[in-house]
Amino acid sequence: MNTDVIITVENLVKKYNGHTAVDGVSFEINRGEIFGLLGPNGAGKSTIISILCCLLEPTLGSVVIDGSDIRKNANNIKKIIGVVPQEISLYHTLTARENLAFYGKIYGLSGRTLKTRVEALLDMVGLRERADDLLEGYSGGMKHRINIAAALMHEPRILYLDEPTTGVDPQSRRRIYDTIQDLNRQGMTVLLTTHQMEDAEKLCHRIAIMDKGKLIALDTLKGLLELVGESDLIHVLAPEILPGPVEFIKRMPGVQKVSLDEGNMTVQLVRGRESLVGIIDILTSSGTRVESIYIKEPDLETLFLHLTGTTLRG
Amino acid sequence: MKFHIIAAKDLKIVLRDRNALIMMFLVPMMIISVAGMALGGQYQQDMQIKVLIVDLDNDEVSRGLVEFLEEIDILDVDMESNEFAARDRVKNQEYGRLIIIPMGFTESVMTGQDTGLLIIVDPTEESDNTVLEKIVEGYASRISTNVVVVKTVSAYGIPAHTEEQILEIIDIAGQFVHPPPVDVTIENTASDLVEFSPFTQYVPGFAVMFLMFTTVQMGSISLIKEQEAGTLRRLITAPISKAEIIGGKIASTFVRGFVQLSVLIYFGHVAFDLDLGSDILALFVLIAAVTLASTGLGVLVAVLVKTVDQADSVSLFLVMIMSAIGGSWWPLSVEPQFMQDMAHFTITAWAMDGFYDLLYFDQGLAGILEEVKWLVLMMIIFFGIAIRRFKFE
Repeated sequence: MNTDVIITVENLVKKYNGHTAVDGVSFEINRGEIFGLLGPNGAGKSTIISILCCLLEPTLGSVVIDGSDIRKNANNIKKIIGVVPQEISLYHTLTARENLAFYGKIYGLSGRTLKTRVEALLDMVGLRERADDLLEGYSGGMKHRINIAAALMHEPRILYLDEPTTGVDPQSRRRIYDTIQDLNRQGMTVLLTTHQMEDAEKLCHRIAIMDKGKLIALDTLKGLLELVGESDLIHVLAPEILPGPVEFIKRMPGVQKVSLDEGNMTVQLVRGRESLVGIIDILTSSGTRVESIYIKEPDLETLFLHLTGTTLRG
Repeated sequence: MKFHIIAAKDLKIVLRDRNALIMMFLVPMMIISVAGMALGGQYQQDMQIKVLIVDLDNDEVSRGLVEFLEEIDILDVDMESNEFAARDRVKNQEYGRLIIIPMGFTESVMTGQDTGLLIIVDPTEESDNTVLEKIVEGYASRISTNVVVVKTVSAYGIPAHTEEQILEIIDIAGQFVHPPPVDVTIENTASDLVEFSPFTQYVPGFAVMFLMFTTVQMGSISLIKEQEAGTLRRLITAPISKAEIIGGKIASTFVRGFVQLSVLIYFGHVAFDLDLGSDILALFVLIAAVTLASTGLGVLVAVLVKTVDQADSVSLFLVMIMSAIGGSWWPLSVEPQFMQDMAHFTITAWAMDGFYDLLYFDQGLAGILEEVKWLVLMMIIFFGIAIRRFKFE
């Protein structure tokens, strides 16, 4: 057994009522790594997290976490994982301090240990001054910080974060990034699911891309972007665009893929800057009203379009 | 075991919820007070048993019977001279009971001939009918002594030609009959009835109804909120068993309900002199059984619905129906028999039976064993179904 690997997922399958949510997924997560599961909503990321949290039993396949099989030693696993759910899973009519103390007690902390840990985490998330305020008076970002702190009460070896920055303002997002990176520097392994490219690009050492229950790519950010080559993305916002000009654009030299979602057209193409004028020509000559147009360097979204033919948010 | 951590957290949340506390204590206290004072008079009037009498004899003994019945407080006696009209009035449910005293009744009694009284009753008012039957049978038994004495005298050929002679013999016989040579003492636990007050009905009635709001409505909503907020899911990812989680939720609801019901009953005692009976332990046993059964129903509702809104409306419906037919708003005895039978499928009916047994009849622990048995059985059924069907996801 490779002692550097802390989580091993092999041929994982999860079916609900005939629908396959996770379809033969395999990956390993190294100790001390920040690992990202990236994909659109419904890709199967949250189902995988639920299985790794011992909330769901896999239909097929195996999951071993720090040497314990989730089917046989769920209780051991629960002691070493911390889970930050997507929603604010806290009690809004309790104070931040009371919420943290409650989750600490659930994990078996008591007395001085509990008190010390609560104060340390309040300091870590910068909310000691507001610790005795009811959570219902907190801003969304502050609640997210306490939501993370509650998962850290028992000093877990592995931290799962499910869409940690969804619905968070930019300032709180920055703070969440800093917190995750600090924890990782202290040796904590982090698994996060996200459909936000920025999360994966800024935080993750390795990224697994998922679509429709399958793992379609897994590598470092650099390695993944090399799959795209020199493709660029051109985004066009044209709410009344007709099929005619879209077909013309598809036939342009260098165009690899075109996706259209309610007036949002995304064109993946080689040497985008050179083709931009041609695309604008097609749109103006067909009388299409264009609200905005911009070009993007290759990124995970380009990669996702390259691999699946759809956008991450699609 | 960590269930107490969850229970303590829930109780802390409730103690911070001013609206919940008002609903649990202040509102029921106000409603008990208003209902008891406003409806007390009407309630006592409703306790009267209306009787119609047709006296076809209109002689000494029959008039004695009518006077005897008129002197009994709980009977509201009216006279009717026409037997057919009287039968119609009973048939039309104007009166629930009709006594027909036949012509020649007095003469038959005085001359030692068999005779009888006819009682016609509305079968839907069984409990009131039984009370009247017992009263009339008691009186009939007394005047039967006359008939027996006269028959005995005649059988031995002792001459007794005049009414004075017959009465003299009856008097002598009466001396031997009272007290009866063979004494039968019947001890009834209800023999020391406390004075009935409308609060005997309204304090436990409304207290049980508001207990249901706490255990069924707030209890089910608390569980569903925990599901909707994701806190239940988060708890399951911690090293705590599902039994401890659900046990914590049940424990907090039970403690809330138990304290609420105890406080409301004690409020009735302090504010309106409600007699609590002589067995306080039995009272707490009954309160615990009622609270457990209704807590079980709350968990069952949480399992059967999907959203807080659904839990709210289903609970409201259940509490109102159970309170209406189960005897929270009026005594069960005023309901027709089939409704009384149906009512005993509800927690409220067994709870009210139990409270009457303790607060009015003062029957102690032995008197409420039947009620506690049914309440515990309901609790087992509710928890059994709920825990089997509970979905943590």
